[in-house]
Amino acid sequence: MSGLQITSLNVSHGAIQAIKGVNVSVAPGQIAAVIGSNGAGKTTLLRTISGLIAPDSGTITWQGESLLSSKPEELARRGVIHVPEGKSVIAQLTVKENLQLGGVWRNEKRQTSEAINQVIDIFPRLGERMNQKADTLSGGERQMLALGRALVAKPKLLLLDEPSLGLAPLIVEQIFRTIRELRDAFDLTVVLVEQNAVSALRIADLVVILNLGQGTTVNDPESLIDDPALRKAYLG
Amino acid sequence: MDTFLSVLFLSLSKGAIYGVVAFGLVMVWRGSGILNFAQMGQAMFTTYIASNLIINGQSYWIAAIIAIVLGGLLGATIQQLVMRPIEAMSSKSKTSDIEAIFAIVPIVATLGLLALFQSVAGMIWAGEERGFPAPVSTFGILVGEDILPFSAFDIFTIGVLAVVLVITVLFFRMTNMGLAMRAAALSPEVARLNGVRVDRVKTLGWVISGALASLAGVLVTPTANLSPNTLDLVLIIGFTAAVIGGIESLPGAILGGVIIGTLVNVISVYIDPENVFVSILIVLFLVLLVRPQGIVGTKAGRLA
Repeated sequence: MSGLQITSLNVSHGAIQAIKGVNVSVAPGQIAAVIGSNGAGKTTLLRTISGLIAPDSGTITWQGESLLSSKPEELARRGVIHVPEGKSVIAQLTVKENLQLGGVWRNEKRQTSEAINQVIDIFPRLGERMNQKADTLSGGERQMLALGRALVAKPKLLLLDEPSLGLAPLIVEQIFRTIRELRDAFDLTVVLVEQNAVSALRIADLVVILNLGQGTTVNDPESLIDDPALRKAYLG
Repeated sequence: MDTFLSVLFLSLSKGAIYGVVAFGLVMVWRGSGILNFAQMGQAMFTTYIASNLIINGQSYWIAAIIAIVLGGLLGATIQQLVMRPIEAMSSKSKTSDIEAIFAIVPIVATLGLLALFQSVAGMIWAGEERGFPAPVSTFGILVGEDILPFSAFDIFTIGVLAVVLVITVLFFRMTNMGLAMRAAALSPEVARLNGVRVDRVKTLGWVISGALASLAGVLVTPTANLSPNTLDLVLIIGFTAAVIGGIESLPGAILGGVIIGTLVNVISVYIDPENVFVSILIVLFLVLLVRPQGIVGTKAGRLA
């Protein structure tokens, strides 16, 4: 299988072991939701996949090739695009510059501006604000910008950290719908870390529940939504 | 033309040089988080090399261009051979009390490099001052019977630095590399996640800053003299300019340069050139006390 394979992954923050022997298998084109409470290791998992943190042991492969021991900038060039929580938009740059950043390493201006036009078709609000500084945007617009920037980068594996954080429920629904549409349109594989578990489960093909660094994979997300016991245990 | 206008004009030519020095300091500060006190030591060294080339019959132009290129190479060398190993060491140490020490280490290293450049220059070229030629006249321009208070060289300096400034602005605003450099300075992590090779971008910052400092060197010395310590005052004034501009801001650095250039000239002409040094330190002190974020910066930006 050529998707994302994570086996026996162990990651530490100093003396604390944040990820304990986690196994995850995501087929190409799937959306995997990673849920769990604060401090369960969700963000650490994403940062390890994108090369920001080096694991203690274990393997991570994508399309059959190992992602370990590559720097994040090299992984981004291989199509592994990580949208970190909150600060993935650079506030001092304009909306346009933030979008251009997605294609900056390619140094292909025409390709990048075509990709930006595509993003504007998906998020017309960004088109109206192209020359504004990103810090003038609302929270929802910033999330659109972060997603748009990731699309300009032409991702194959998209890692999203809490795209719904701090957003009104209506906008959350819109963002999640967009993620699913983008997956279908661009043939993406998505790993989605979410606090907002119920919304994440609605678009996910599989769920990884992290609890104090240990992972359980559930291949039928809908069953979690319907099962009151699991709901209570994992979704709060 | 009366004294006031001529002071204003001279201020612009000196201020432009201080602005460029400040610009180089800010570039390395934002790119690497290091205040490079060796910057004008590098420039002094390359200016000496240019001076030797001129003594051996090369033209000012060839010598200046070689000095600027060497300045860029020297910047890259320092970043690769000195700053990178220090950075690698500090990222390995995980205890927080050592972290505070490692924040100072690179700055102390730049002071060490400054001392190294000055003493090696003293060994090679002896400590005494020597002149440095200008490509055009440094005497007041003659219009009929009147001598104007500024020279063709002042106009040359302003012209060169204006061109450099326009090129730099276009580079940062219009090119992918310029955008990558700005992103890497504002948020290294986001830049890396967008495929920007932050290490190389950092080196490029040292190259540009070294080249600009060497340019400032060959523009300052024709009206001063060249000695291992000549450019110390330029560094201090350039640093003050950077602080006035808020240390984070490249346009602020240029603006700070012009402000401080004006101040230096007003004090030299109306009060006493002897007082320039102490006045600069007072300005530096007052800015840090009253408006540490500078005239351009915001408080939040300074804390971030």
